[in-house]
Amino acid sequence: MTNGVAELENTDTIFIIGSNTATAHPLVATRIFRALEKGAKLVVADPRKNQIAEFADLYLQHKPGSDVTLLNGMMKVILDQGLQDQAFIDANTEEFDGFKALIDGVDLDACAAATGLTVDGIEQAAALYAKAGTASIVYCMGITQHTNGVDNVKSLANLSMVTGNIGRESTGVNPLRGQNNVQGACDMGGLPNVLTGYQPVTLGAASKKFADAWGVDELPTQIGLTIPEMLSGIEEEKVHALWVMGENPVVSDPDADHVVKALEKVDLLIVQDIFLTPTARLADVVLPGCSFAEKDGTFVNTERRITRVRKAVEPVGESKADWEIIRDVSNAFGFEMAYDSPEEIFTEIAELTPSYGGVSYGRLEGDGIQWPCPTPEHPGTPFLHKDGRFTRGKGLFHAIEYKGPAEVVDAEYPLWMTTGRVYAHYHTGTMTRNSVALDREIPEGFLEIHPEDAAAIGVCDGHRVRLASRRGEIETRVSITERVEKGVVFMPFHFEEANVNKLTNPSFDPIAKIPELKVCAVAVEKI
Amino acid sequence: MIETIKQHVAGLLTEKKIAGFLGLIEKNGHVAPHLFKDGESLAGFTLGDRKTAGDARYPLNKTLVTLSRAYPEETFGVLVRGCDERGLYGLFRLNQLTEDRVIPVGFSCPAELSEACECRKPYPDSLVAGEKTESSQLKKVAEMDGKDLARRFDFWTAQFVKCVKCYGCRDVCPMCFCKECSLECEDLVAKGDLPVEVPVFHLTRAMHMADRCVDCGLCDEACPSDIPLRLLYKKTAQIMDTDYGFTSGLNKNERSPLSQMGPAK
Amino acid sequence: MEYKTTLTTCTYCGCGCNFYLETLDGKLTNTIPCKTSPVNEGKLCIKGWNVHQFVQNDRRLKKPLLRKGGELVEVEWEEALAYTADRLKAVTAEKGGDAVGFLASAKVTNEENYLLQKFARAAIGTNNVDHCARL
Ligand code: SF4
Ligand code: SF4
Ligand code: SF4
Repeated sequence: MTNGVAELENTDTIFIIGSNTATAHPLVATRIFRALEKGAKLVVADPRKNQIAEFADLYLQHKPGSDVTLLNGMMKVILDQGLQDQAFIDANTEEFDGFKALIDGVDLDACAAATGLTVDGIEQAAALYAKAGTASIVYCMGITQHTNGVDNVKSLANLSMVTGNIGRESTGVNPLRGQNNVQGACDMGGLPNVLTGYQPVTLGAASKKFADAWGVDELPTQIGLTIPEMLSGIEEEKVHALWVMGENPVVSDPDADHVVKALEKVDLLIVQDIFLTPTARLADVVLPGCSFAEKDGTFVNTERRITRVRKAVEPVGESKADWEIIRDVSNAFGFEMAYDSPEEIFTEIAELTPSYGGVSYGRLEGDGIQWPCPTPEHPGTPFLHKDGRFTRGKGLFHAIEYKGPAEVVDAEYPLWMTTGRVYAHYHTGTMTRNSVALDREIPEGFLEIHPEDAAAIGVCDGHRVRLASRRGEIETRVSITERVEKGVVFMPFHFEEANVNKLTNPSFDPIAKIPELKVCAVAVEKI
Repeated sequence: MIETIKQHVAGLLTEKKIAGFLGLIEKNGHVAPHLFKDGESLAGFTLGDRKTAGDARYPLNKTLVTLSRAYPEETFGVLVRGCDERGLYGLFRLNQLTEDRVIPVGFSCPAELSEACECRKPYPDSLVAGEKTESSQLKKVAEMDGKDLARRFDFWTAQFVKCVKCYGCRDVCPMCFCKECSLECEDLVAKGDLPVEVPVFHLTRAMHMADRCVDCGLCDEACPSDIPLRLLYKKTAQIMDTDYGFTSGLNKNERSPLSQMGPAK
Repeated sequence: MEYKTTLTTCTYCGCGCNFYLETLDGKLTNTIPCKTSPVNEGKLCIKGWNVHQFVQNDRRLKKPLLRKGGELVEVEWEEALAYTADRLKAVTAEKGGDAVGFLASAKVTNEENYLLQKFARAAIGTNNVDHCARL
């Protein structure tokens, strides 16, 4: 997030797009409810009318995958009506002209048709956002899990820059991180192209610094493979071993049958987890890690706040903290690691990572620290890009043209399907479904379907249906609701026995390599 | 005030009158519930006032119930404010704690807190430190009662629909201890995704708290959606008071009219 | 009688709520939100309130498992570690470091993600490190 969560409370207009906030990030919803109490305006755009949409001053139920069109339409209105912050644009951004040329060519009636909205709705959204003193954008996986996910994000950046809603308190473009330590996993270099703190692997100086610190002659400087590329690498016999730590790609990744095939094929599959997940069941060796309650360490939340994880109980059975497992394997492999505690590891991280340079376990007592925090005296950074100072110098406008989703509905697969979370479960359900209270709350998966579509296939609430896409089929129970529009169905992805990712489309965004989990075409029939 | 309490607790511990004292401690830059087992360890002891009075209160009675179930023969000391002690009386009455196994160590709340809470009894009977402060009037309930029914209905509906069904109001409540909770009973409250069933979920809880709630306000503070639950339960308590002459935990040994047969008092 | 409260950070969503895990004699008994945390101010969602329940669940893996004759069977750590290291050595020697892929995790700590990518880059010599940020 560019800004802190608490700042949302003082925002004049909050624009939520592709985030089921009250369900997936309830404690962010808290701040939004408070802002509403103080008179803020709320605009929600989402193909599914989720709980937070109930509170919207303006709710836009746009078609799945039509985000860029909606955003371009809003920016067209802003430029046509002169609602932009020209002073901000002139002082802090680049490439505005090219962007403006594209937007000038946008036709509002066409936008309305493509999104399934009215011109009036798009105009109102633009006015609510652009006329506010401070406006914040909040988004989540509904924006990123598309073949054009990066375009979606860039469009949101355009929207914030065109109105000068960035670099000030209570503004910004705020992605809500889906999982607790996604931010940390990225910060720590859990990516094929960067080392810690986003230092590129291709940059000689960074590479040299790490090589020296780690006591090796050199480090690889070629960008590595992403998950989808590793999976296809297995099929092409380029990848022969895979070490999976605390992930469950069989349930979380699109086109599950294809993932299973790859994992069955790989010569060596090492899985480190706390439960015998569907992924672990395919492994050659399973290393029992332990949960957050059984070890020390740190997490980073969605607002870049680093806080401590502390050991409360001894590890179950002979399970070990994941850092101990990696250390022990590394030592057995012949690469020496001599750490006795996570704190020692953290000290090494801080030495090698400028944005973490001033952080130590001692300083994390109390409220934690929001990075960047380069020196021990630095107080941390609640919001990024202060006063229009972007990381890359000036904010860059991107002219983004609308590209439709990779897969569209047809006579055989006539319904749009989108996926998401329910409030009582988390991700692949590995932890939540092993919790008595949460399992009791929502014990099984379901498919949300509009009453008219349900009537068309002759099912009532609770009936079982077979759901098929071009990749596979599953069975589940229907829940009839007007939360979804006619022609759109929704399904949560936490349930391995009704694994919705057998259906989803693995086509991914060419840059971010995020699969299009949010849109695919399906057919539903009564069993 | 805090020194008086520390001395008192140190005395109880050294004389072995209690196996441990359940209070609050300053650690990791925050305030945490803690079981003090000897006099020397009282260094970090705190009353739970951080930035403002009473802003770091915890459901110590709830932990006390857990401790007593595991160690039924032991006697524990526990830090109490007025509401907490009312809670203890209620838990004695409901057979969740045994009176002669609990030694309350009480202190009174400052006037500002008493007023903010609109508290009936801002001081415990077992007062070890502080003065008896005045009880306050139920202004917010009166204010709400002043609105017509339609506006009250709209107000509460708008509040309830914010609920994210965390069950925090129940989980934090020192007076909630049922093994089977009616909020999870599918015949009463529909299961499924959010929003929660309005107003059944919240009114079911209000009904269940009618003769239990001791107005500690912890549920209100735990609600992620800032639903004014305390106001709702205050109203319920007011009805119990005017119609049945009963206030939960106000007096020791008082029985609930809801668990008695026969005509009301 | 050992009663303890441990301040920690939620393992579920990116809000990163802070709470105390309550333990009595080594068993997790409860979760209590931290009132003074700037993140969650004494509040949690349903997942947070019940987070202590999965930790000591019976289905947890208690020993390493190794595939022998097609089945995963329990083995001692020594055997599992030696197997893992030896097979990794064989793959890297035969096919090079880029024949190995690593999935880091949004569920483990920073320190652990750091170590895994360090092992991948420094010991194996590959940048094939990714995690499911995208999911
Ligand atoms: S105020 Fe809330 S937490 Fe306190 S006793 Fe009443 S219902 Fe329970
Ligand atoms: S604490 Fe608030 S949000 Fe949570 S269940 Fe109770 S009323 Fe609902
Ligand atoms: S308690 Fe709920 S809102 Fe808070 S971090 Fe955990 S999952 Fe997220």
